[in-house]
Amino acid sequence: MRREGSALRGLGVVTLKEISDHMTSARMRVLEWLVVLVALAAVYAAITQVRDVTAEDPFLFLRLFTTARDPLPSFTAFLGFLVPLMAIGLGFDAVNGEHSRRTLSRILSQPIYRDALLFGKFLAGLATLSVSLIVLWLLTIGLGLIMLGVPPGAEEMGRAFIFLLVTIAYAGVWLALAMLASIVFRSAATAALVTLGFWLFITLIWPALSPAIVTAFVPSNDEATLVIAAQSLARLSPSVLYAEAVTAILHPATRTLGPVYISQLQGAVMGSPLPLWSSVMVAWPQIVGLIAASILLFVGGYVAFQRQEVRA
Amino acid sequence: MNHRFIAIAAALCVFAAPAFAADTHDVKGLYLLSDYPAVTVQPGATSTVNIKLHNYDMAPERLALSVNGVPKGWTATLLGGGQPIAAAMPAADDTTSIDLRLDVPKDAAIGTQTITVNADGPNTHIALPVAVSLAKQLPAKLTLSSQLPELRGNAHSSFEYTFTIKNDSGKKLLVSLAAQAPNNFDTSFTEAYGTQQLTAIPVDAGKTKDVKLKVTPPDTVDAGHYPVKVSVVADDAKAASEVALDITGQPKLSLSGRDGLLSATATAGKESSIPVVISNTGTAPAENVKLSGNAPSGWKVSFEPKSIERIAPNQHAQVQALITPPAKAIAGDYAAVLNASAHSETGSANFRVAVTTSTMWGIAGAGLIGAALLIMVGAVARFGRR
Repeated sequence: MRREGSALRGLGVVTLKEISDHMTSARMRVLEWLVVLVALAAVYAAITQVRDVTAEDPFLFLRLFTTARDPLPSFTAFLGFLVPLMAIGLGFDAVNGEHSRRTLSRILSQPIYRDALLFGKFLAGLATLSVSLIVLWLLTIGLGLIMLGVPPGAEEMGRAFIFLLVTIAYAGVWLALAMLASIVFRSAATAALVTLGFWLFITLIWPALSPAIVTAFVPSNDEATLVIAAQSLARLSPSVLYAEAVTAILHPATRTLGPVYISQLQGAVMGSPLPLWSSVMVAWPQIVGLIAASILLFVGGYVAFQRQEVRA
Repeated sequence: MNHRFIAIAAALCVFAAPAFAADTHDVKGLYLLSDYPAVTVQPGATSTVNIKLHNYDMAPERLALSVNGVPKGWTATLLGGGQPIAAAMPAADDTTSIDLRLDVPKDAAIGTQTITVNADGPNTHIALPVAVSLAKQLPAKLTLSSQLPELRGNAHSSFEYTFTIKNDSGKKLLVSLAAQAPNNFDTSFTEAYGTQQLTAIPVDAGKTKDVKLKVTPPDTVDAGHYPVKVSVVADDAKAASEVALDITGQPKLSLSGRDGLLSATATAGKESSIPVVISNTGTAPAENVKLSGNAPSGWKVSFEPKSIERIAPNQHAQVQALITPPAKAIAGDYAAVLNASAHSETGSANFRVAVTTSTMWGIAGAGLIGAALLIMVGAVARFGRR
């Protein structure tokens, strides 16, 4: 039966309800503690390292995000695996949880379309993640201000803000993936396990595996072709895209993310920072990849949900 | 020999009784001798006359010395061994050297004065008249001549003049060298074939010495004719000469961006133009100024116009440098050198070119996101149901 009226009717109600559910859940407590501890650990490590090592640096504040000190990874590396965990944690039982609680048909008996329900769940998850990430971001900058005593410049703040947006886009990919799993698998445990497994594979194994796949299947002896092919393959992983985009945004001297011929570097003034706009252009394909991936994954979940039997 | 002696004695006006007593073969007695008993001096100058007291085969005798006929205002002093003396005692067959120092006042009248030097002993009485003529002009004791007194060159050349110093005075002189050049010109004297700088050079009596004067004009000097006065001084003798530098103008090119800006932006694969100002800060016009650029490989650098016919001194010309980074250039700053050259003069400037990549891909990326959203809208329309 065709739908009548806007697909988004009831979206606001669902979103607000989902956000309030998330915010009061035990998961959110855990997330909050994770946020505080991660911020403290990463900033402390970065600041002690920055104080010891860095001399003159026009982008001192950005070093807060990128500096690592053994044994702790840098703030961006922390986010690289913390964000997928948070997103999967919020999304793995989005739909199949309603099934198992037998509340789905009750919700849909209200004047709310399925579209609105799914959109609302996704937006609520993304909003909750954004709140956590913004808090984490502000906490880091605040701690950095107190402990470094150096105010950040306008361009540094611009770069840090774009970094935040990229991180939210990255969270969106994993949230969409987790929701897709929660739609496809009726059991929440299965969905969680499959998503986590996929995350482990795509984050840890895939970047290492792609050169091997390329050497096995690409019939070329040209070094450059192999490197470019391996890199393209590795970029199927959102973690790789995220790491590359963060590098371009937070290290202003990054001129390109792909392989470089020596001839392209002739006459280049090395170490000079790119303007913010150029850095965004360097990272733009990666950012586009993250946004497009989250949209497509969501669409996949949407189509699956629309075709599903909800009366169980 | 004897004839000569007598002739010399007569010529030198040595009037001494024993001279006439001496036989032709054996000169005996005490004599006052002088190589030049008639001298010419300048008023206000000091002159020294060499006198010898010779004892030919006589017993040593103490001789009191005195000077008669000294005009008023003059000072005549007898010096022996560097100090004033009043008596002399030559040994047998020996000579005692005496200097007669004459201080002639400035206002002394022109004419000839005769001053007599007397030596009186118990048995001997000798007198030596010395004729002193006063003259305003004396023949030069030092001469300075230059072989090539006028040289031509530009502000960067070095000008080298060779001088010959001739010492016509009767004694060896230590000649001081001095050159007076316009402000900020650097002058230095060296030996003719040496590099050691000199301020004075000894010249033997009757000999010549060559010295070289090197004049370095300041780089910023205008074209023109610049005289340099050279003077040499030794004791009371001096000589002067004048040489000249004929400096021709020299163009000097400098290159910069408009308003002194040395940075530019360019997009990969696209031609962008940088306004470049070429100034001639030299003193001569720069003709046929050619422009060239030195950029990383793969870059295209050309100019519009390609060359400038003429830039007058203190004028400037503007051209457009057209820079095209290769399409595959990666974003960031690059260094490019732009040169302007006219004959031997070159001016160059280091430009920093910030390359941005084409925004084409950015639009393509936005299009991709748009496509994804379209798919979503399509899915909503296709699968939307109650």
